[in-house]
Amino acid sequence: MSTHVSEWLNAYHDGELHGTQLHRVEVHLAECGICQAELESLESLSSVLHEVPAPEFTAPERFAAQINLRLPHEQTKVSRKQILEIGWWMIPVGLLGAWVFIATSTVLSDILYTAHNLGLLSSLSNWLAFGSSNNSYWSATLGQFGVLSGNSLNWAEATESFTRMSLPQISLQVSIALLYLIWIAIWWVRHTRRGSGQLLEG
Amino acid sequence: MAMVMIPSEAELITKAQNGERNAFSELVCIHAQGVRNVIYRMCGDPQIAEDAAQETFIQAWKHLPSYRPQTSLRNWLYRIAVNAATDLLRKEKHILPNALEDLQLRDPQLGPEALFFEEERMALIQKAILSLPEASRVVLVLREYEGMSYHEIADALDIPVGTVMSRLNYARKSLKDKLEQSLFVHVEVKHVDPR
Repeated sequence: MSTHVSEWLNAYHDGELHGTQLHRVEVHLAECGICQAELESLESLSSVLHEVPAPEFTAPERFAAQINLRLPHEQTKVSRKQILEIGWWMIPVGLLGAWVFIATSTVLSDILYTAHNLGLLSSLSNWLAFGSSNNSYWSATLGQFGVLSGNSLNWAEATESFTRMSLPQISLQVSIALLYLIWIAIWWVRHTRRGSGQLLEG
Repeated sequence: MAMVMIPSEAELITKAQNGERNAFSELVCIHAQGVRNVIYRMCGDPQIAEDAAQETFIQAWKHLPSYRPQTSLRNWLYRIAVNAATDLLRKEKHILPNALEDLQLRDPQLGPEALFFEEERMALIQKAILSLPEASRVVLVLREYEGMSYHEIADALDIPVGTVMSRLNYARKSLKDKLEQSLFVHVEVKHVDPR
């Protein structure tokens, strides 16, 4: 005899099983007295529960009239839940916007920096590239005072330049990517939670 | 002969969302019994069920503009009703013991002895239901008394279908354990031939 189907008997009793799962339970019930008895006890329990009658409430029309007197004049236009829902869907849009902004700023900054080095920028727009040209301020200062020189100065300048320019951009982009992944993970969990009923379909 | 067009529930909802009170009253008439039944089965007190149901419909009216017609109005109302009942039970913990005094019997024609046993039997069943944890009780009530499907219950309570199943299994198993001895002893006593 196959394994007992106790865990599916409630769903079977409630008419919630379909397909292969329903067939499996029916086949098992046809040959298993224990599961048959369990199913009968579920049916008895339902009958017992329905023995408790519902009370006689006020007539629906009178009840509706009582409510009508208490109804406020204004209905809530937009609920807090709706605002939260809109906010939830704005998160990926905001993240994408932030990513586009950072990526554009980086490209523009690189273009200006290159143009500045090549002397292509006019004096008017020089100030635009000034911020990005002064990437190794501390290393240059140490070089001027003779603390650093030669290879160590070059290494310090390169490290400082990387720390000032590239590291913040990389950190920001990684943070945005992580936030986006977290959002997708939460969305997926919510989505699968709602769809978990599929397991009853067999 | 003039034909009277009865508006559908969807039409009534649209009108009520636009502030038409008469349309909302019709919706109240349609769902009043179900909402009051759910709350009554949750708390066991008819008067409190009436009051909480009124509060449910007032909340529904306030938030009707945010109701999405893609979901069932009944499920949406039951969700508000369950929240109202749960809040009430948390505020007024004395409800449950007193509730059993208000039980109404199905057949008032019974003799005194049968009436006594019937009353005691009803009280036992009601007490067993009310002793369940709220989370399991509400799932049992929606399934047994409102005949809702697992998907409808999941939708109304905003929980996964798997949770509906496990809470229902737990509720039924607990009830069987609680009622098995006491109830079936009474059943046997009830059916003893007096001769």
